[in-house]
Amino acid sequence: MFDLIRRRLFTAIPTLAVVVILSFVLMRVAPGGPFDGERPLAPETRAALMAAYGLDKPLPEQVGRYVWRLAQGDFGPSLVYRDFTVTDLIARGLPISLTLGALALMLALLLGLGAGMVAAARPGRALDRMLMLGATLLTALPSFVVGPLLALVFGLWAGWLPVSGWGDGDAPHMILPVIALALPATGAIAKLARAGLAEVLAQDHIRMARARGLGWPRILIVHALRPALVPVVSYLGPAAAGLLTGAVVIETVFALPGLGRYFVQGALNRDYPLVLGVVTLYAALIILFNLLADLAYGWLDPRARR
Amino acid sequence: MRPALIVIALIVAAALLGPLALHWRYDVIDWSAVRAPPFAGGHVMGTDSIGRDLLARTLVGTRVTLGVAFAAALVSLVVGVAWGAVAGWRGGRMDEAMMRVVDALYALPFMFVVILLMVVFGRSILLVFLGIGAVEWLTMARVVRGQMIALRERPFVTAAEAAGTPPAAIVVRHMLPNIAGVAIAYLLLTIPQVVMIESFLSFLGLGVQEPMTSLGILLKDGADDMDVAPHALLLPAAVLVTLLLCLTRVGERLRDRFAQ
Repeated sequence: MFDLIRRRLFTAIPTLAVVVILSFVLMRVAPGGPFDGERPLAPETRAALMAAYGLDKPLPEQVGRYVWRLAQGDFGPSLVYRDFTVTDLIARGLPISLTLGALALMLALLLGLGAGMVAAARPGRALDRMLMLGATLLTALPSFVVGPLLALVFGLWAGWLPVSGWGDGDAPHMILPVIALALPATGAIAKLARAGLAEVLAQDHIRMARARGLGWPRILIVHALRPALVPVVSYLGPAAAGLLTGAVVIETVFALPGLGRYFVQGALNRDYPLVLGVVTLYAALIILFNLLADLAYGWLDPRARR
Repeated sequence: MRPALIVIALIVAAALLGPLALHWRYDVIDWSAVRAPPFAGGHVMGTDSIGRDLLARTLVGTRVTLGVAFAAALVSLVVGVAWGAVAGWRGGRMDEAMMRVVDALYALPFMFVVILLMVVFGRSILLVFLGIGAVEWLTMARVVRGQMIALRERPFVTAAEAAGTPPAAIVVRHMLPNIAGVAIAYLLLTIPQVVMIESFLSFLGLGVQEPMTSLGILLKDGADDMDVAPHALLLPAAVLVTLLLCLTRVGERLRDRFAQ
C-alpha cells in the first residue's frame, strides 16, 4: 500500500510542477496584461506597477520566485482585488466550494448507488428500465442546464427555496446548488453501479448464496456490493474533476462566493496570480482525488494492490 | 438509433436553413418588442431582454455550437489518430513514452487548461475549438493505439511487410481503413463532449462572444432573465439536451457495433 502511494506521488509531483510552470509561462507570454485598461497608464506608472509586482524580472527568475513562494503557501498578490492576496481569496472561497463539492458527492453516491442497486436487483423489469432511462437523461443534463432549471422551478415558481447567495451556509441556501451539482454525477454512478452489480450477480458465489437461501437485501449488500463498487470507484477521479468544473458554473448560477467565482472573475479580468493559483490548487485536488480513488481501488480489489 | 439520427438531422437542417426562412436576423434589435412573449409582434418564440428574436438566436446559436463542436472533434480526430497510430505501430519504448504523456494529460483539470488558454490568447471562436480539440484527443489516441496493436499481428500486415511496403504506406493504406469505423464512433462521442465544453465556456462568458451567439450564451441570458421570460431559458435548454442525448445515443450504438 505504501509502495503504491510512493509510486503515485512520484508521478504526481512532476505533473503538478509541469502544470504550474507551463501555466505560468503561458500567462506571461500572452499579449495584453492586467494593467492594459481602457485608459493607457503613464509609462512611469506602468513601470512602477510592473516593478512592484516583479513583472519586470526575467521569465525564469519569475518562475523560480513563484514556485519558491508557492512551496511556502504564498500564492502572491491578486492584481484585480488589490486589497487581497490570492491566499486570502482562496481561504475565503475554498471552504464554500469544498462544502458544496463534498455534499454533492455524498448525495450523488447515495442516490446513484441506491438507484443502481434497485435497478440491478430485478434486471429487465419496468423499474430497472425507468431508472436507467432517468440515469441516461441525467448524464445528458449538464449542471449549467440543471442549475437554472431548478432555480426556476423550486425557487421562482414554487418559492420554496432561495435562488441565490450562500446566506450563512444554512441548509435552505445549500439545497438547490448541491442538488444541481450532484445530479449529473448521480446518473453516471447509477449506470456504473448497475453494470457492476449485473456482472457480479451472474457469478457463482452469488448463485451459491441464493442456493443457501439468503435473502436478496443481504446478498446485494454483503456479497455483491463490494466487488461491484470497483467501476464506481474508478469513476471517482473523473467525478472529482467534474464536480470542480461543475462547481464553477453552479457558483456563478447561484451567486455563491466560492473559489469558482473568483476563478471566473480572475479569468475575465486577466488576474494572472489568481487564475494561476486556482488552477494549481484544482490540479493538486484532482491529483489527490485520483490517488484516493486508487487507494480505495486497492482496498476493494486485493489483486490491484501489487 | 434511427429516431435519434432523424432528430439530429432535423436539428442540423433547422440550424442551417432556418435562419434564412425567418424574417428576423439573430442580431437585429426590434425596439417595438423588447422581452416580447412568444407569438407577439411576429416573433414566434418572443424576444430577449434587448429585443432580439429568440427563435433566430436559438437557430444561429445551435449552428455555432454545432460548428465549433464539429471542428473541434475533427482536430481531436486528426491528433488522436496520428498519436495513437504512431504509438501502436512503433510499440516498445516509444509507445510507452507516448502513452505516459496521454496518462499524465488525463490527470490534468482539462476545463481549467482550456480556460487558461482562453485567458491567454483572447476569446476567439477559432481558439475555442482549437483549444477544446487539443484536449479532447486523448481517448481517441488510446482507442486507436489499442486497435493498431491488435491489427499489427494480423497476417495481412505481415504480408505487406514481406512484400516490402514502406511502413508509412502500411499504416495509412492498410491499417487505418480498418480503424475507420471505431474512429468515427468515437468522433461522434466526442461531439457531445465538445458541445458541453463549448456551452460551459460560453455560459461563463469565456467562449463565443456577443453579438455572436451560441447555446451556452443563450442559456446564460435565459438564466439571467428567467423570472420574467422563462421560455428564454427553456428553449435553448431543450435544444441542448435533445442534441446531447441523441448524439450520445448514436455514438454509443456505433461504438458497440464496431466493438465486437
